[in-house]
Amino acid sequence: MEKEYNHYDVIIIGGGVIGSAIARELSRYQVKVAVLEKEADVGWETSCRNSGVSHAGFNNKPGTLMAHLCVEGNRSQSQLCRELDVPYKKTGKLVVAQRAMEIPELYKLKEQGRQNGVKDLKIIGTSELKEMEPNVQGIAAMHSPNTGITSPYLLTIALAENALQNGVRFFLNNEVTSIKKGHGRFYLATDQKCFSATYVINSAGLYSDRISRLAGGERYRIYPCRGEYFILDKNASQLVNHLVYPVPQAGSGGLGVHITPTVDGNILLGPSNEYIKKKNHPASTAKVMKKLISESRDFLPLISSRDVIRSYAGIRSKQAPSSEGGYRDFVIEESSHVNHLINLIGIESPGLTAAQPIAKRVVAILNKKEKLKDNPAFTPLRKGILRFEEQDSATKKALIEQDPNYGEIICRCEKVTKKEILQAINNPLGAKDLISIKYRSRAMMGRCQGGYCLTRIIELLREKYEMLPQEITLKGRQSYLLTGYRSEGIKQS
Amino acid sequence: MNRPFVCIICPNSCQLKVTYEGENIFDIKGALCDKGKEFVKNEMTNPLRVFVGSVKVNQGDFRLVSVKSTTPIPKKYLKKLGKLTHSIAVDAPVEIGEQITVSGLEQKIKLVATRKVKKRIYAVEKK
Amino acid sequence: MIEKEVIVIGGGAAGLAAALACHERGVEDILIIERNTYLGGILNQCIHDGFGLEKFNSSLTGPEYAQRYIEKVTKKKIQVLLNTMVIELNENKNLLVTNHAGFHHYRGKVIILAMGCRERTRGAIAIPGTQPAGIYTAGVAQELINLRNYMVGEKIVILGSGDIGMIMARRLTLEGAEVLMVAEKLPYSSGLPRNINQCLYDFDIPLLLSHTVINVKGNSRLSEVTLAEIGKRGGIIPKSKRKIPCDTLLLSVGLIPENELSRQAGVILNPMTAGPEVDERGQTNVPGIFACGNVLQVHDIVDNVSLEAEYITEGVIDYLQGQTNRDQEISIILGNGLRYVVPQKIMIIKDTIFSFRVNEPGKKKTLVFKEWNKLIHKTFFPRVNPAEMLQVKLSREELEGVKTLKARLV
Repeated sequence: MEKEYNHYDVIIIGGGVIGSAIARELSRYQVKVAVLEKEADVGWETSCRNSGVSHAGFNNKPGTLMAHLCVEGNRSQSQLCRELDVPYKKTGKLVVAQRAMEIPELYKLKEQGRQNGVKDLKIIGTSELKEMEPNVQGIAAMHSPNTGITSPYLLTIALAENALQNGVRFFLNNEVTSIKKGHGRFYLATDQKCFSATYVINSAGLYSDRISRLAGGERYRIYPCRGEYFILDKNASQLVNHLVYPVPQAGSGGLGVHITPTVDGNILLGPSNEYIKKKNHPASTAKVMKKLISESRDFLPLISSRDVIRSYAGIRSKQAPSSEGGYRDFVIEESSHVNHLINLIGIESPGLTAAQPIAKRVVAILNKKEKLKDNPAFTPLRKGILRFEEQDSATKKALIEQDPNYGEIICRCEKVTKKEILQAINNPLGAKDLISIKYRSRAMMGRCQGGYCLTRIIELLREKYEMLPQEITLKGRQSYLLTGYRSEGIKQS
Repeated sequence: MNRPFVCIICPNSCQLKVTYEGENIFDIKGALCDKGKEFVKNEMTNPLRVFVGSVKVNQGDFRLVSVKSTTPIPKKYLKKLGKLTHSIAVDAPVEIGEQITVSGLEQKIKLVATRKVKKRIYAVEKK
Repeated sequence: MIEKEVIVIGGGAAGLAAALACHERGVEDILIIERNTYLGGILNQCIHDGFGLEKFNSSLTGPEYAQRYIEKVTKKKIQVLLNTMVIELNENKNLLVTNHAGFHHYRGKVIILAMGCRERTRGAIAIPGTQPAGIYTAGVAQELINLRNYMVGEKIVILGSGDIGMIMARRLTLEGAEVLMVAEKLPYSSGLPRNINQCLYDFDIPLLLSHTVINVKGNSRLSEVTLAEIGKRGGIIPKSKRKIPCDTLLLSVGLIPENELSRQAGVILNPMTAGPEVDERGQTNVPGIFACGNVLQVHDIVDNVSLEAEYITEGVIDYLQGQTNRDQEISIILGNGLRYVVPQKIMIIKDTIFSFRVNEPGKKKTLVFKEWNKLIHKTFFPRVNPAEMLQVKLSREELEGVKTLKARLV
């Protein structure tokens, strides 16, 4: 029996922030695009599990792609987030020195930033630091006013939804198992379907080495490097206004813990930096958890372990092991082994910041070869789920009048209404795991971590998708929450 | 033989010291009331417990009605009784004290409803 | 803006009792605001018995206990707003509430805080490991099983020997699951002793004291937890590590009073109770805002919740009648052996009930109240336990003329 192939001009493997950004950029043109994502939603690997920082670009080696694309991305971050209806705050960053011998490093960073084109970097002294951050311990700092924060998961989802709006097809739960080339096309098989494509873009992140190999491309190797985080209660948010980073110190044994206020009002502590073997389901460790608190307290003594509401970990795609310095520039290029295979390898920090410039670079590669035609129907604007809590009283009143579901608060801690949760459940990508609803609505992200709202969200999910209890999953296959009904009951005569 | 018991009749949780031989109890120390002494006697021969559980309700404003046994029942029946409650259902409305008989054990067990369940006003059955 | 004499935030055990008691004292303009679609709060899912032994001289289940109050509230036609959440409360006792009918502003002459508490989570106690499905706080599992008719898992490990943990051990066993063990990080159980008997011993469920979970494993669903023993100095004993295959971890690791609204209103919280600091009338530092029930201090026996709610009514009535005079302000100083005291201060000399929790279990202890070296009152307890709240009543006569009060356990 002949297999039915869905043919696309471009197939993007990997629906993280990079794959979704590329999808969006491509949808500006008349190109038939599909994204194949192995998980049940976009961004579940690295893209949703980082600090969400838009780096200004002073941390990268001048002349590298990382530096160039980071600065470009940072400059247009605010506009991108506006178009996609994703929160963005230019909080600024302070790289804080606590000892005199660290101060020359600050000047080095400032100079590096200047070379990269980063604007407004300034070295400040103790009194100015105290004024900006009364709770932070330090003697001097470099202030980067252009560093900002966004929500990494909302950004990934928004990029994907905008691409979807503009005609890109997303195939979730489709893990690529084989890639063959013949008759000038790629033939891809996933665990669900078969596809063919003229171009394949490998943005599979942690698995980009595997995809390159599958397609007959270069034999890259990705070294997973884990970063653990703590999320602090919103009650601690008044402790700090800027991102507070220590002066980077190689070989110090410390984690170099960052203190990052999030765009929602929490604080992140972390990440750590540890090469591990497994590429998925990263675990938090007791050793790092201790260090996260103790090192943060060196800078911000008012932090206490009692403020912690959750821990999580993400994994970076590193191209070099620690023995080789752990650092290599982005690889964004057409494979020299296989025509029309574009590999994106080692997209770690500042990957989030540089997502759109990276995507534009990929499109430029294609444009050289194909002369892409503009898509007149393209719209860069995407609307997210309206956050009821952020509206003023008059708007809130009007919203409830329009739809009484705005009047019912389901997530007490984050004040998320039933309407927002229903919108999250009815998301355009069709993702139906609890994590997908959590990312889109913010429900379950508060201090009670779903204590009140979890049971209610389960009911709403079951209603919408007519699921049996055992079909509700937390984050994809086999992450079932319930084993079934407690009792079926039969009528008692 | 000596053995400590914790009396479960009330939150006082008297810690009793019991001296016994086989089924003969010689002494019980530490009980604040007589119920404790009764309790120990039963514990030695035929331990009894109040069963609490729940039973499915059809068309109620709650899915389940909580139930308890009218009197303490032999401890050895608890698990099986729990399983049996899975295959019973009652119709709403249910009043507190309403009796639900369960058969399938050596003796018929009488359960009473401990929650008031009104008849649901929705048209659609939400399982 | 709708003005009310008394607004009760929370329609659980405390809120219901407070509203009823105020009504019985002649207050008619009462409003109970409840976020659920039903009254009774957490009692609805506590289907086990043992409630009401003091108040009603019977061993009732949670729903039965709740129904006694719900019936009265309905009979007396006390106004209730269900499915309604208070989203803002300020120090002027203005509330912003929201429900399907819209956004409403209320103002109460008196606000009674009765919001109860929430459970401590895995994140808050930082258990290392992955983030699989199958980890629940005991209360959520209880709601899923007892109210929603769902089953959470088949092979269960429970962390925390508080009453909720132990009750759930029994519940899960009776529902056909296999409860492998209950681990407790302290060297003693934090629940009522009779629960150890009827929930654990009865079903041969081992209770591992001085043990905690140090790691969680599982990619999608929980597959294993690692238990370890805690040594005398608080560290893990490496040789004691045990890997337990399981599919569910239930956490019963503490309750935290839910004081977000209290904070908004400028109510000062006590760091030991995590609830509002109150005087002998149950009034917080904000005049006209009172607190009772689990939001004030986590209780173990619901009868005491009802009694506490009824007890503060006197202060509420005094306030409504404009009797805001005070004899003086005496802060209770805590000495050895005591974790906290409620109330934390006395403003008016009258018969006062003090609630305490001790720091650790003990036998033959005396709770001593002193003013400097003068003995004011003492009460003997044959047995004390952090899991069991102690209550001591000091009479008006004993408190007459006292300038300072220190309480300690000897």
